[in-house]
Amino acid sequence: MNDTDLAKAEKNGEVNGILDELVEKTEAITALVISRQGICLGQAGTAASLNSTALAALVAGMFSATKEVANIVGEDQFSILLQQGEKRHIHISLIGSSSMMVIVFEDYSRIGKVRLAARQAAGRLLDALEQGRRKRDEAVESLSVPDFKEYAMNLIDRIFVVGEDEDAPS
Amino acid sequence: MPHLDLENRQFIFKIVYFGPGMSGKTTNLLYIHRTLMEKYRGDMLVLDTEEERTLFFDFFPVSLGTVQGFSLKFHLYTIPGQVYYEASRRIILEGADGVVFVADSNTERLDDNLEMYRRMLDNLESYGVDPGSFPIVLQYNKRDFDDILPLGTLEEALELPDRIPVTSSVATTGRGVMQTLKIISKEVIRQFQPAAV
Repeated sequence: MNDTDLAKAEKNGEVNGILDELVEKTEAITALVISRQGICLGQAGTAASLNSTALAALVAGMFSATKEVANIVGEDQFSILLQQGEKRHIHISLIGSSSMMVIVFEDYSRIGKVRLAARQAAGRLLDALEQGRRKRDEAVESLSVPDFKEYAMNLIDRIFVVGEDEDAPS
Repeated sequence: MPHLDLENRQFIFKIVYFGPGMSGKTTNLLYIHRTLMEKYRGDMLVLDTEEERTLFFDFFPVSLGTVQGFSLKFHLYTIPGQVYYEASRRIILEGADGVVFVADSNTERLDDNLEMYRRMLDNLESYGVDPGSFPIVLQYNKRDFDDILPLGTLEEALELPDRIPVTSSVATTGRGVMQTLKIISKEVIRQFQPAAV
């Protein structure tokens, strides 16, 4: 992939831009978009103290588990999850069928504002994610796959060090 | 299919450690986490019950470095092995790029291993994955026990194809653990198809 392709691909900051607006509007601590597989796709706010990788994995699991609960009680899924804590609260809502938005906020009296902002942002985020997917397709097309695989294999050999007494595969 | 994050320029591959309850999945992950240099590993999440059985999953990310301008990452997960956590297992397996099946070598666990392997295949198929070409490594764990299944038992009973690599391990001491990780990682990379991203 050349630098121009990468620069073009990097303009896919629209997801973060939408989240920035949302954080400003709701005075939330942070807002994230995560995939159903538990990967953070975008982030805004002061998330420095939060482990967003772990948060994404856990929230995705939690949301999927809730879907199973919904099925048990005869619903297809619950579209919103709200976790209320003493100081901090989490609002989670679906964006389309394969991602979700997580908003962490402190002042619970802002819950109405958070809900409204989440609903308003959802459609724009869905469009931005779809646009991002198209850009990913373009970026991947320009990847040299044999080279990628070779370098990746070298990294694996170097980092996943096998001790001398380890058994060889059968 | 791996996830490509353009903004952060990273490829993320998901590897799931699957297997019956108490077969050593979490022990594998804990050993890997302990062994890797700090700069390569993120924090480990362990969600277990009071009896130290995995309740939901264990997880930690591994960052290997940069390839063609992209960070290469593996996310390692375990599943809860108990039969009644079927829903959790299905959820965690979604989007996996490869699976290590951690079998318990105790002879009395043969049926548990077979049942769990079949459930894994069912779960993969429910996501439209063809297990015939999916990266899987079969790890016979607990080889230090007295009464153990001979290597080849599970392959024969499950009619596994020869392409599936088999390792033997003692996860409590780390024997075979990094070897297994290395093999599944390479299988995942080998079968990486950009069109599927």
